[in-house]
Amino acid sequence: MRNESVLSGMKASMPIMASYLALGLACGIVLYDAGFNVLAIFLMSSLVYAGAAQFLAGSMVALGATIPSIILMVFFLNLRHILMSASISKYVKRKPLSYLSVFSHTLSDESFGINYSNFQKDNWTTNEALVTNFFNYSAWVVSTVLGGVVGSQFSINTLIMNYALIAMFLCMMVLQFVSKEHIIAGIVAVVLSILFTVLLKHNIALVLATIIASFVGYYLEKRTVEKGVRIND
Amino acid sequence: MTSQTWVLILGMAIVTYIPRFLPILLLSRKEISPSFSRWMSYIPVSIFASLVASDIFFWEGSFSLQPLTNIKLIPSVLVLIVAYKTKSLLWSMLAGVLSMTLFWML
Repeated sequence: MRNESVLSGMKASMPIMASYLALGLACGIVLYDAGFNVLAIFLMSSLVYAGAAQFLAGSMVALGATIPSIILMVFFLNLRHILMSASISKYVKRKPLSYLSVFSHTLSDESFGINYSNFQKDNWTTNEALVTNFFNYSAWVVSTVLGGVVGSQFSINTLIMNYALIAMFLCMMVLQFVSKEHIIAGIVAVVLSILFTVLLKHNIALVLATIIASFVGYYLEKRTVEKGVRIND
Repeated sequence: MTSQTWVLILGMAIVTYIPRFLPILLLSRKEISPSFSRWMSYIPVSIFASLVASDIFFWEGSFSLQPLTNIKLIPSVLVLIVAYKTKSLLWSMLAGVLSMTLFWML
């Protein structure tokens, strides 16, 4: 791998690493307080690598939930990755199995977002994407372990650190506003995800809202294209 | 580490890895029809919008449009403007963290 790939991948990862370091510390503390030792925290972060799921596991264990119920909740929480994995697949066509297995293991919401945005700019390579994933991943593993080591000695404002990631997703959303139909799909997703979250009180709301909104966008585009064809006739 | 902890971590790892790995494995190995790929182009914008909306419109678990209670609302408007003007992730994050810190201190 060329040095430039490592550098640009690291550069892309910087803002995410910064927020992961703070959130990972907080997550490590939550897990430690729930009874996980440092080795367990390390294994969970490196084998599962899913922030929201790990916070959830920490609070469910603290509440005395059973193992199958926690695994089931994590499964539903992470179903959204199906959509991310599917939509980024067009940029890693014909990569070897070894690449795909590592790339997908390190595909967090943030890694997906940053790489998808960068791939669209054309000059983003699959190596740079993998490096970005690697740095995000390392920041998460290191900071959660650190959180387990220091314990509750100091507190972190998770509201603000979590908002850093939300602000990033807001910008990624704006970057996807490439046509009128894409903007409408975004608005539909906002309305539906609020509605489904209120009604279902469950994270599956996100997946349902995304699927319906993307169909609305696609349908509108198809209708516009067909109209255009008819006018041209 | 108890065997229960092992089971929990391995179970979580499996149900997290399968949704991440299977789609990319299956779809990167074959040709995708143009209409399927057009549809897929609407997935990212919808995902980002859903991730954001299911967070910023909720305060302590309930839906809230009160900008003085739900202090994420006004910073989000600011971030939207910054994102639109600069198209920069870094500037958007900075605008978000700074305005959020201000609101939090007030």
